[in-house]
Amino acid sequence: MERPLTFTQGCRDGLPIFIGYFPTAIAFGLVCRDLGLRSWQAILFSVSNFAGSGQFLAASLMGSGALLAELFISVLLINMRYLFMGAELSRKLDANLAAWQRPLIAFGTTDEVFSVAVLNPSPLPGRYLFALEGTSFLGWVSGTATGVLIGTILPLRLQLAVGVTLYALFTVLLTQQVRQKGVMALAIAAFSAAIHTILTGILSLPVGWSFVISMLSAAFIGALIIDEETIG
Amino acid sequence: MNPTVAILISALATFITRLLPYYATWLSRLPRFFAKSLRLLPIAALGPLIFPGVLLDYPDRWWAGLGGIAVASLFAWRKNGMIIPILLSIVTTWAILAL
Repeated sequence: MERPLTFTQGCRDGLPIFIGYFPTAIAFGLVCRDLGLRSWQAILFSVSNFAGSGQFLAASLMGSGALLAELFISVLLINMRYLFMGAELSRKLDANLAAWQRPLIAFGTTDEVFSVAVLNPSPLPGRYLFALEGTSFLGWVSGTATGVLIGTILPLRLQLAVGVTLYALFTVLLTQQVRQKGVMALAIAAFSAAIHTILTGILSLPVGWSFVISMLSAAFIGALIIDEETIG
Repeated sequence: MNPTVAILISALATFITRLLPYYATWLSRLPRFFAKSLRLLPIAALGPLIFPGVLLDYPDRWWAGLGGIAVASLFAWRKNGMIIPILLSIVTTWAILAL
């Protein structure tokens, strides 16, 4: 069914993403509190990055005292998938977009925004994409602010236990992946965890580099043994 | 490291990957195997983000963190949503540490 891709339609399509992002962003806000970031830094994090897994990864590396170069390369790698999403989305864009609009649209291309946007027939008008991305962005940023607030009022006795937040969050993400993609997802994660444990624990490699090596080797080996449909 | 600088470095790394395909069109012609590996990177990242950190953060009671993520995983397996599993894992770890 053809539907006009108006600004309002973009907001309507963005609403489910808003609702999906909000609780995840609350979790991110909690993580930021746990890391000892100030409230404005946590919000700056979500405003400037607007990326789920990339932000969680960056926060984790900040917590483990990785170098800036390690952080940069790790975040770059985990976000590599955006190269393909962007390539596909840019082909579907309205050719009349002003030069300044493309970087703005690129900034807001998250996994969820992408999967909603590409379902529409091309060309995609700027107003629709701005509304779609803007609504999602608001969910992400307001959720982060809420999480920071919750973190501030948590009782002191819980503080040490809150250190488990980030691990719990990654575990939830992994569990969701295993549910969707099967036990191979668990095997890849377990393999890369094993390499990371050996590299940091036995060979005393810096956390960031070890992270990059284990992530890359597990992804390559995974790509060798897994067929296309499983990855989805 | 300065957290604000780290946040902005992370933002830069994210923006580069999102902006590049709008200008470098050769990216859409990368080999399939490469594309497949890139899609597995986020899953491959989750393993080392959990281990061994979750054990090392609680040196006196390494099972405290492990108990926490076990509960999180159990609840995430049964239902969608993140907040409940995460809060339950905090409570579990807190209970183990308080014992």
